[in-house]
Amino acid sequence: MRLFDAVPLGRLAAFRTLVYLFVPIDLLLTTNWVLQHKDVPGDLYLPLLLGRVLPLPTPTYALTVGIFAALLVASVVAATGRAPRLLGTAVFLLYLEWMVIAMSYGKVDHDRFGFLVALAVLPTVGRARWGDLTRSEAAGWALRATQFAVVATYFFAAWAKLRFGGLDWLTGATLTRAVLRRGTFLSDWVVDYPGLLVGFQFFIVAFELTSPVVLFLAYRWQQRAIGALYAFHLMTYAAITISFLPHCVAMASFLPLEKVRPLVWLSRYRAADPAPPAAART
Amino acid sequence: MSGHGTLSRPDTEVRLGGRGRAVRLGVTAVCALLVVAGTLVGQDDDFPFGPFRMYSTTDDISAPVASTRLEAIDTTGRRFRLSDGMTGMRRAEIEGQMSRFRADPALLGGLAEAYDDRNADRPPLARIEIIIRHFDLDAGRPTGRYTDTLDTGWDAS
Repeated sequence: MRLFDAVPLGRLAAFRTLVYLFVPIDLLLTTNWVLQHKDVPGDLYLPLLLGRVLPLPTPTYALTVGIFAALLVASVVAATGRAPRLLGTAVFLLYLEWMVIAMSYGKVDHDRFGFLVALAVLPTVGRARWGDLTRSEAAGWALRATQFAVVATYFFAAWAKLRFGGLDWLTGATLTRAVLRRGTFLSDWVVDYPGLLVGFQFFIVAFELTSPVVLFLAYRWQQRAIGALYAFHLMTYAAITISFLPHCVAMASFLPLEKVRPLVWLSRYRAADPAPPAAART
Repeated sequence: MSGHGTLSRPDTEVRLGGRGRAVRLGVTAVCALLVVAGTLVGQDDDFPFGPFRMYSTTDDISAPVASTRLEAIDTTGRRFRLSDGMTGMRRAEIEGQMSRFRADPALLGGLAEAYDDRNADRPPLARIEIIIRHFDLDAGRPTGRYTDTLDTGWDAS
């Protein structure tokens, strides 16, 4: 676990495509409520510190729709790997303003610190081609910084529980409350077993506090641990429909993504096809 | 753009210069300090360095669980649940600004405006109510009983 361990540029290129392609998914599906702030009057806008310091304008219909459109276009083009520094910086700044529009109406979400760090560090790497196995320290730092942010989200979430909830959090009714408010047909039955939910609260704090271990594990065990974390988020989604999806995208910084080559697989599949339609016509 | 491995040099390593390393090390350290400070003394306002306080408050195992909702009455007298999508403001955001709505119920008028903008084909709103439902708990188990309380109301004048 070193800050500048080199990784294949192809891993960085694949991660970059994944992160930038997630931006339109986030805009249109996972956090499509942000755009709905376009109709909310300005006197309900309570800008975050970031919005007051810069200072960013009070969102209007035109500003909100304009940022939405610019971010949509910039992220899709950035996903191709073109002009990585320029487009990457543009996507980061637009997304940061999008988050100010998202979180300045009375509720701040905590599901995307890792994703924001990924957007911030990706433009520092420069050119990287899909499948390139050349190793790069710049790419290594970008992925490592994202991994730090992902792990920090777990570790400091446990710390925040102790700060705001105290030790009583462990034996309180936080999960009962969450299931009563947001439960699904998969989870509604558990409210009748408060002991189970309290046990799960102990489990959550224990795994969050020990999460930094993931950074020091040998490769094979690290991959298993990341798999377990993805399973945890799948279960959380099934139980209370909170996805932490941007965080899950950032967590892909742990995976050997250079091996994922959809375009190569597609061209091999086409080449192996005994009677491709194009050949039949000639 | 895909590249087919022709440029791949698994045996070569592109290294960072001393300045590149120093800047990256510095940025990493500053961000780490900000996250620690945010968690120790920060608030949600310090986004993105504020504390990761999702589900961090403690709920008493037997205190009622509160769930907030908005209801509206339109000019035809029809009463209905005002969903997040009808106004553009989420339930959690309403809860986050509850003290403002209580102090100045006229702010709810802004939500009526947003509803009218987004639902031009429907009758406008005459009244909005913030209603809190308290689910009764007994040793952490819901009893099936609940009480609804009108928290704040606003009438179009």
